[in-house]
Amino acid sequence: MVLPLVLAALTALALAAPPLDRFLGRSTGWPLAAAFLGLAALVATRAPEVLSGAGAPSFDAPWMPAVGVGFHLRLDGLALLFVSLVLVVGALVMAYSASYFSHGRHGDFYLLMTLFAAAMFGLVLADDVVLLFVFWEITTICSFFLIGRSGLSASRPAVRTLILTAAGGLALLTAVVLMWVTTGTTRLSVILEHSAWTDDPAFATAVAVLVILAAFTKSAQFPFHYWLPDAMAASTPVSAYLHAAAMVKAGIYLLMRFSPALADHAVWQTALIGFGLVTAVLGALFALQRHDLKELLAYSTVSQLGFLVAIIGVGTPAAMAAATAHTLAHALFKATLFMLVGVVDREAGSRDIRKLTGLRRVMPVTATLTGLAALSMAGVPPLLGFVSKESMFGAFLDAPGPGWVGPVVGGVAVVGAILTFAYSFRLVYGAFGGPTEQSHLREPKAAFLFPAAVASVAGLVLGLVVPLLNPLVDRVVTDTWGLVHDSDLALWHGFSTALGMSVVVLGAGTVLFLRRAWLDRVLDRSLFPVRGTEVFERLYRGTIALGARVGDLTRSDSPAQHLAMPFVLLAVLASVALSAGLAVGDFPAPVSRPMDWVLVALIAASVLGAVVARSRLAALGSIGVGGFTVALWFFTLGAPDVGLTQLLVEVLTVVVAVLVLRRLPRSFHPTGRVRRAAAAVLAIVAGGVAALATYTMTGRRELSPAADYFLTEAENETGGTNVVNTILVDFRALDTLGELTVLGIAGLVIVAVLNANGLLPNRQPTAIHRFAGSPIDSPTDATILFRTVGRWLAPLVILLSAYLLLRGHYEPGGGFISALVGGAGFALAYLSAPSSDRAPIRWPYIALIASGVGVAVLTGVAGYLEGSFLRPVHLDIPLPWGGEYHFTSALVFDVGVYLAVIGVVVTALNRLGGDSGPPGGMPRSRGASRSGRSAGKETR
Amino acid sequence: MTLAISVGLLVAGGVYLVVQRGMVRITFGFVLLGHAVNLLLVSGGGAFRREAPLMSETDASVAADPLPQAFVLTAIVIAFAITVYMLTLAGVGKRDDDTRGGPAVSGEKDEEKA
Repeated sequence: MVLPLVLAALTALALAAPPLDRFLGRSTGWPLAAAFLGLAALVATRAPEVLSGAGAPSFDAPWMPAVGVGFHLRLDGLALLFVSLVLVVGALVMAYSASYFSHGRHGDFYLLMTLFAAAMFGLVLADDVVLLFVFWEITTICSFFLIGRSGLSASRPAVRTLILTAAGGLALLTAVVLMWVTTGTTRLSVILEHSAWTDDPAFATAVAVLVILAAFTKSAQFPFHYWLPDAMAASTPVSAYLHAAAMVKAGIYLLMRFSPALADHAVWQTALIGFGLVTAVLGALFALQRHDLKELLAYSTVSQLGFLVAIIGVGTPAAMAAATAHTLAHALFKATLFMLVGVVDREAGSRDIRKLTGLRRVMPVTATLTGLAALSMAGVPPLLGFVSKESMFGAFLDAPGPGWVGPVVGGVAVVGAILTFAYSFRLVYGAFGGPTEQSHLREPKAAFLFPAAVASVAGLVLGLVVPLLNPLVDRVVTDTWGLVHDSDLALWHGFSTALGMSVVVLGAGTVLFLRRAWLDRVLDRSLFPVRGTEVFERLYRGTIALGARVGDLTRSDSPAQHLAMPFVLLAVLASVALSAGLAVGDFPAPVSRPMDWVLVALIAASVLGAVVARSRLAALGSIGVGGFTVALWFFTLGAPDVGLTQLLVEVLTVVVAVLVLRRLPRSFHPTGRVRRAAAAVLAIVAGGVAALATYTMTGRRELSPAADYFLTEAENETGGTNVVNTILVDFRALDTLGELTVLGIAGLVIVAVLNANGLLPNRQPTAIHRFAGSPIDSPTDATILFRTVGRWLAPLVILLSAYLLLRGHYEPGGGFISALVGGAGFALAYLSAPSSDRAPIRWPYIALIASGVGVAVLTGVAGYLEGSFLRPVHLDIPLPWGGEYHFTSALVFDVGVYLAVIGVVVTALNRLGGDSGPPGGMPRSRGASRSGRSAGKETR
Repeated sequence: MTLAISVGLLVAGGVYLVVQRGMVRITFGFVLLGHAVNLLLVSGGGAFRREAPLMSETDASVAADPLPQAFVLTAIVIAFAITVYMLTLAGVGKRDDDTRGGPAVSGEKDEEKA
C-alpha cells in the first residue's frame, strides 16, 4: 500500500501547494521538501525487500477492466533508483526554491513541480504500458508549463519543447499499442518477458525504433538535443530538477526499462551507441563554446545523457552497473551545479563567465562546493563521478560487435571525457578564478547553500564508500539484464585499461584547460551549419503553410467548391476499394420485390424533374414527389412509423419552402454549360458509387443480434409493443434527447438568423387579370373553403395528435409523429388565414422548444429513482372502474419530444411567414396587401 | 437491388443540385441526399424482412430490423430542421444567385411589368 499512498500524497501535496503559498509565500518550499523526504523514507521502508531480491512490492487496482488495463505499480530495483532521485533531489530543489525565489507568490511553481514529481514517480513505478504512457505525457505537460511560466521570452521555447516531446510521446503511444496488440497484455513486466521479442523480428525492430524515438526526444539526444538548452528560459530550480532527476531522466529510464527485451537487438545497440557518443562529444564541444554558465550546464547535460545512452546501448552487466552509478553521480553533481550557478547569478547578478571573475575570494564556500561537483563531473578521484566514469570506460571496451568496435567506442568516449574535463574546469575557473573585481560580495545565507551542499558532499562521500552502492546496483543490473549479477564498484580496481583511460583523460584534460585561450580561439566558430531551433521553426512554419495550402482547396466563398470535395474524395476512395476487390456476402433472402420498381421509377422521375426544373416551384414539386415516394418506400419496407414521419415532414417542408420561395424570383439563376456538365459527371459517378456500395455492402446478413434482442425483449422490458418507439424513448432515450436538443437549437438558430437579418420582402403578387373582381382575386374570399374546413378540422387534428402521442408506445405514433400532425394542423391554420397579419400562431414558440427539452431532461432526472439517467419509471395506477393503467415515464419523455418539435414547426411558420422585410427596412405600403408587420413585433 | 438503385438516383440528383449556384438548389440537394442516407440506413438492416416491428400484430421472426428505423425516424426530423434552417438562409440573401432570377419563364414578364 506504500506505493499508491506516496503517489496520492504527492498529488495531494501538489493541490495543497497553492493554498500553502498563500500563507508561506516562497517558504512553501521547506514544508514540501520535508514532505518529499518523509515520502522518500516511507518508500525506503520497502527498500530492504527490493534489494534482497525477495520480490518487488506491487499494487494492483482495476482501471479499465473491460480491456484489461490496470493501475499496476511495481517497485523493483530500477524503479527504486529513479524514485530515490525523484524524491531526494526533489526535496533538495524544493528547499533551494525557498531561498531562490523573490518574496511573493509562487503557488503555480510549487503546484507544477510537485505534480511533476508525482508524474515521474508514477512513470518509473508503472507496470502497465498504458499507465506508463499517461504518466509520460503528464511529465511533458508539466515541463511545458514550468518552462512557459517564466515569461514571454520563454513561450516559444516552451512550445518547441512541448511539440518535440509530444511527438516523442506519440512514438511511445504507437509502441504501446504495438506491444498491446502483439502480446495481448498491457502488463509491462509480462510484455518484457514475452517470446515475441525473439520470435517476431519486425515487431522487435519497430518497438525498438519507437522507444528510441521517444527516449531520444525526451533525453535530448542528437538530433533532438536542441530543446534542452532552449528550455534554459525556465527558472533555475526548474532546470536543476529537469536536468538532474526528472524529464530527461525519463528517457534514460525508458531505455533501461526496455533493455531486457531489446539489449541484444542490432538496431538498438547501433542507434544507442552511435547517437549516444555523437551526442556526448557534440554536447561537450558546445559546452566549451558557451559563456553563459547555465547554457554551458545545459550542453553538459546533453553530453552526459549521451554517455548514458551509449552505455545502455552496450548492454552488458558491467555497462548496466556503470549506467546506474553514472545516473546517480550525474544527478548529484548536476543538481549541485545548477543550484550553485543560481546562487552566483543571484549574488553576482550575472551568469556570464566573461563578466564573472575571482569569486573564490568572496564566496569561498560556494567555490568549494562548485569545485567538488565539477571534479565529480570531470571524473577526478575520489569522487563518485570518477568511479562511474571509469566503470563506463571498462564497459565501453566490451561494446558488442566485431573486435575493433570496443577500442573505437572506448576511444571516442575518452575524447568526450577529455572535453568534459575541460569544460568542468572552464566552468569553475570562469566564475571563481582570476582577479576579484566584485569585492563587496559575500557568501549567501547558509539556507540558500545548504541543499547544494548536501548534493555536492554526497558526491564525495558516496565516492569514498562506493561499495555501499553495490546492492542497489546489483538489483538494477538484475532488473535490466535479466540475470543475477554481482557488481563490484570500487575506487581502486588495480591496474586496468580503464585506469589507463582515466589517466589519459586527466592528463589531456589538464593540457586542454591550460591551453584554454588556444581552445577558445579554435572553437570560436559555428560547428554546425544550422541551429536546431531554426530547423524546428522552419519545419513548424512549413507544416502550417502546408495545412493552409490543403485548406485552400476548399476555402472558398463558393459553396459548390467545398460541397463537391467530399463527393470527389468518396469517388476516389470507392475506386481504390473497387480496384482492391470486394468480398461480397450473400443476401439471406431475396431483397427486391416487383412492386419496388414502381417506387424506383417514381424516384427517377422526381429526381430528373428536380434536376432539370428551371422554375423554383417546379423543382419544389419534384422534390415533394421524391419525398412522398421515399415515405412509400418506408411503408413497403415495414417501417410505418418512419413512413408516417417522412410523409408529415414532406408536407411541412413544402409549406415552409413555399413561404420562402415567394420571396425569391420564380426561376433559378441559370448555370453555365461547363458547370452543368461537370456537375452531371460528378453526380453520375457519385450516384453510381452510392448504388454500388449500397448493393454490395448492406443487408447481406441475417438480422443483427441487437435487432433480435429488441424484437424479442422490448415488450418484456418496457411494456411497449411498438419496438421502434420503445427504442426511441426507452432504450436509446439519451440519443433521442440529444437529437431533440439539436432540433431545438436549429429552431433557436433560425430565430437568431432572422433577428439579425430580416427576410427578403415578398414578391408583388402577380395580378391575374382574368380573375379581376372575382372571389379568387380576394384573399379573404379565396380562402373560405380552407377556413370552413379548417374550423372543423382543427379540433380533430388536435385530438388525433393527442391520440397518436398516447398510443405511440404500442402502435404507430409517438412524440415525433404526433407533433408533426399537430404541426400540420398549425400549417393548415396558417394557410387558411386570409392575410399575413392574421396568420401567425400566437404561441410562445421559443418557450415551447425550451419546455420540450426541459421536460425531457426532467424525465431523465426522474430516472434516477430507478437508478440511472433517463431510465423509465413504471407505475401501475389502479383505475376506478377496475383494472390498472400502466404508466411509464417514457410517455412524459415523449411529451417533451412533442413540445420541442411543435415549437420548431411553429417557429418556422411564424418567422418565415408574414411579410417581414429587413428589420427597420423599407417602409411598406399598407392598404391593398394589408401587410406591415415588422419582424420585431412578431416575436410576441 | 431496388433500394440500391433508389439510393444511387437520389445521391446523383442530390450531388448535382448541391454543386449548383444558389441556396435553394443546395437545400433541395441536401433534401435528396438526406433521403438517400435514410434509405441506406434502412437497407443496412436488410430488406428481406418487411413486416412492421409491432409486436401486437407481428411475430418477432418475420419483423424488420427496428434499430435503423429508430435512427432514421429521428434523422428525418433533424433533416427537416436543417432544411428549414437552410431555407431561412436562402430567404435572407441580399444580392446573390438566389435573388437574381434567370430569364423569364412563363408569366414572369407580367410580374416584372406590374
